Amino acid sequence: MLKGLGLAAGGGLAAGLIQNQAVAAEPAARHHVTDAPVGSGNLDQRQPYLGVHQAGIVTPRPSCGMIAAFDALAHRPDDLEKLLRRLTERIALLTQGGRMPQLDPKLPPPDSGIVGPEVKPDNLTITVSLGSSFFDDRPWLAPLKPRKLMRMTKFPNDALDRSICHGDITLQLCANTQDTTIHALRDIVKNLSDQMVLRWKQEGNVPAIQPSADGTVQSARNFLGFRDGSANPDSEDDTLMKRIVWVDESSGEPHWATGGTYQVVRIIRNFVERWDRTPLGEQERIIGRVKASGAPLGNGETEFDLPEYSQDPEGKMTPLDAHIRLANPRTPGSEENLILRRPFNYSNGVTKSGQLDQGLLFICYQADLEKGFITVQQRLDGEPLEEYLKPVGGGYFYTLPGIVDENDYLGRQLVQAVAENSSMRSSNQE
Amino acid sequence: MHMKHLFAASALAVLLAGPVHAEGEPSLDLVQPIADYKIYVSERLQTLVADTTAFTDAIKAGDIDKAKALFAPTRINYEAVEPIAELFSDLDASIDSRADDYEQGEKDPAFPGFHRLEYGLWEQNSTEGLAPIADKLLADVKELDKRISDLTLPPEKVVGGAAALMEEVAATKISGEEDRYSHTDLWDFKGNFDGSRKIFDLVRPLIEEKEGEFVTKVSGNFDTVETTLEKYKSGDGYETYDKLSEDDRKVLAAAVNTLAEDLSTLRGKLGLD
Repeated sequence: MLKGLGLAAGGGLAAGLIQNQAVAAEPAARHHVTDAPVGSGNLDQRQPYLGVHQAGIVTPRPSCGMIAAFDALAHRPDDLEKLLRRLTERIALLTQGGRMPQLDPKLPPPDSGIVGPEVKPDNLTITVSLGSSFFDDRPWLAPLKPRKLMRMTKFPNDALDRSICHGDITLQLCANTQDTTIHALRDIVKNLSDQMVLRWKQEGNVPAIQPSADGTVQSARNFLGFRDGSANPDSEDDTLMKRIVWVDESSGEPHWATGGTYQVVRIIRNFVERWDRTPLGEQERIIGRVKASGAPLGNGETEFDLPEYSQDPEGKMTPLDAHIRLANPRTPGSEENLILRRPFNYSNGVTKSGQLDQGLLFICYQADLEKGFITVQQRLDGEPLEEYLKPVGGGYFYTLPGIVDENDYLGRQLVQAVAENSSMRSSNQE
Repeated sequence: MHMKHLFAASALAVLLAGPVHAEGEPSLDLVQPIADYKIYVSERLQTLVADTTAFTDAIKAGDIDKAKALFAPTRINYEAVEPIAELFSDLDASIDSRADDYEQGEKDPAFPGFHRLEYGLWEQNSTEGLAPIADKLLADVKELDKRISDLTLPPEKVVGGAAALMEEVAATKISGEEDRYSHTDLWDFKGNFDGSRKIFDLVRPLIEEKEGEFVTKVSGNFDTVETTLEKYKSGDGYETYDKLSEDDRKVLAAAVNTLAEDLSTLRGKLGLD
C-alpha cells in the first residue's frame, strides 16, 4: 500500500516535470487524450431553489435527469421535520453552489470531491416528492394524505418489477451534466443516511438541440426516433400551469398541499430492435406523426402544427388508435386531462436475451392524478404502440410545495399541519 | 513555492475543521484497548476452533440435522473477528468466500469453506462429498488461530475494523445474500455488530469526554440494532432472514449506513492514519 502511494506520488511528480518541459519547448497548447473535454461553459447556470413551487417542474429540462427513490424512517413528527430541514440545507448548497468544507486529512472528506472543491450550480434542481406509503405507514400522517395519492397499480400492458417501483420519497435531480446529478445524490445519501435508505434509481438524458435560425427550438427525440414533447402545454404560461399542474385552494386537497403537484414516474422499456425492424409508414401511423419532421400526419409541416382530428373522423390520416390521438384526442373536455411531461431517455445495459435495455424515464406533473395521467393512460391501454413498450417501474408521488424563503424549509406546511392536527386531538380529549 | 502552498492549505484545513476534529498523534492510551481486543479475538477464535471441530465432525458423521444446527452458531465467532481474519486474505477466501466469487458458482470445484458446506447441507440436503471440504475448513480455521496468536495487531486495523464490519453489512449482507441457502443471516449480523461494538466500547473512554455527542449517537445506533435484532430471537439464536419485516430491514439498513458513516471517523478521532 505504501509502495503504491509512493509510486503514484512519484508518477505525479514526473508527469508534472514532463508537462513543464513541454510547455517550455512548445508554447502552442498540446492536446492529450486524457485532457478533460472542453465544457459547454454552463456550470454557472443557476436555478432558484426558493419559490411558491419547487424548482424542476416548469423549469426547462437540462440534459441530465435522474429519479432516486428512497425508503424513509421518520417514525415521529420531529424526525420528519429533521429530515426535511436537512434535505433543504443540502438542496440549498448543492443547487446554489459553493465551497465544500475541508477537514483534517485523517478524517474522511465531507464531500465526495467528484466535482472538485468548489461545487458549481450547473443548472441543478432537486425536486422532492412523497409516495403513498409515506402517509399510509404513519398514523399521524395518514389523515393528511393528498386525496388522489395512491400506490401505482398495474395497467394491462405493465410488467412492474417491484425492485424499481414505489418508495416513500423521490428526488428528481436534473442538471447540465451527469457528474452534477451523481454528486448531489451521493451528497444526500451520505448526509441523510440515518433517515433515508436508497431503494432504486433511474438516470436518463435528453439530447441537446440548437435553436433554429428563427429561434424556435424543436423537441428532442426519444429512443423510438420520434420527437417527444411537441404538444406539451406551455410551461411559461402561468395561467395554464395553474390549471394543469399546481394544486391550489380550490383543488379539494388538504390545505398544506397548496402549491404542490402530483408526480408520475414510469420506467418504460422500448423494444428498440423490434421497432427498428418496423416499416416507417407503420411507425408513423402508430405514433401519429411524421418521423423526420414531427408534423402531424396529413396536415402541417412542423411538429408545432396542430392535428385536425375533426376533419378526420374516420382516422384516414391519423388512425383513431394512433398514440398522440389517444393521448390527447383534442375533443371538448379533453383539455381537463392535460399533463406536463418532463421525460428523459434511458439506456441501461443488455437484457438476458441480448437486447438493449433502453426506453423512456417518463415523468409528468399534474394537479389531479386521476384526471391527468391515469385517464390518459387508460385511453392508451391497448394502443398498437404497446407491442413495442413495456412499463416496468415507477410510481405515483406528491411533490411538496416550494420553499418560500431562506428561513423556510421544504415541507414545512405538512409539518405544521401535523402539529395542528395533534394539538386539535389533544384539545378534543381535554 | 509549491510546498508552501500545500502547507497553507493544510493549515487552513485545520482551522476550518473546528472543535470536533481536533485530531492529534496516536495516543499511547490505545495500548490497553488493543491488548484487550487481542484477548477478545483470541477467545472468540478458541471458540471458533472448538465449534468448527464439532460442526465438521457432524458433517463427517453424516449427521445432517446436527450439522445444520451447528452451522450458524459456529460462524458467528468468525463474523465477530472478521476484520482481523481478513488480514489474511488467503484464509478469508478459503473460509468464507461465496459462490459469486467463482466463475461457475456453486458447481465450481474451487468453491470452498462455510458456504460450500452450507450449500451442500441446505440445497442438496446431503453430506455426501463434503468431508474433504470440512477437513480443509477445520485446518484453515486452526491455521487462522495460529497466525493471529503470533500477530501484533495494528492499531489502525483494529480501530478501522469497527467501520469495516459495518461496510460489509451495508454492501453485501443487509440484502440477505450472505447465507442464501440457510437464511441464517441474522446470526451473522449479530456477530458483525458485536465485533464492531466491542471495538467501539474499548476505545470509547478515550473519546467520551471530547466527543460526547458522537459517542451518544453511535451507541444509540448500536442500541437500535440490538433492539431490532432482539425481536427475532428464537431459542439460542435467531429466526431466518425471510422473517425480517420490511420495516425492520429499513431500520437496520439506516442504522448500518449511519454507523458506517460515523465509525469511518473513529480512526481520525483517535489520531490514527
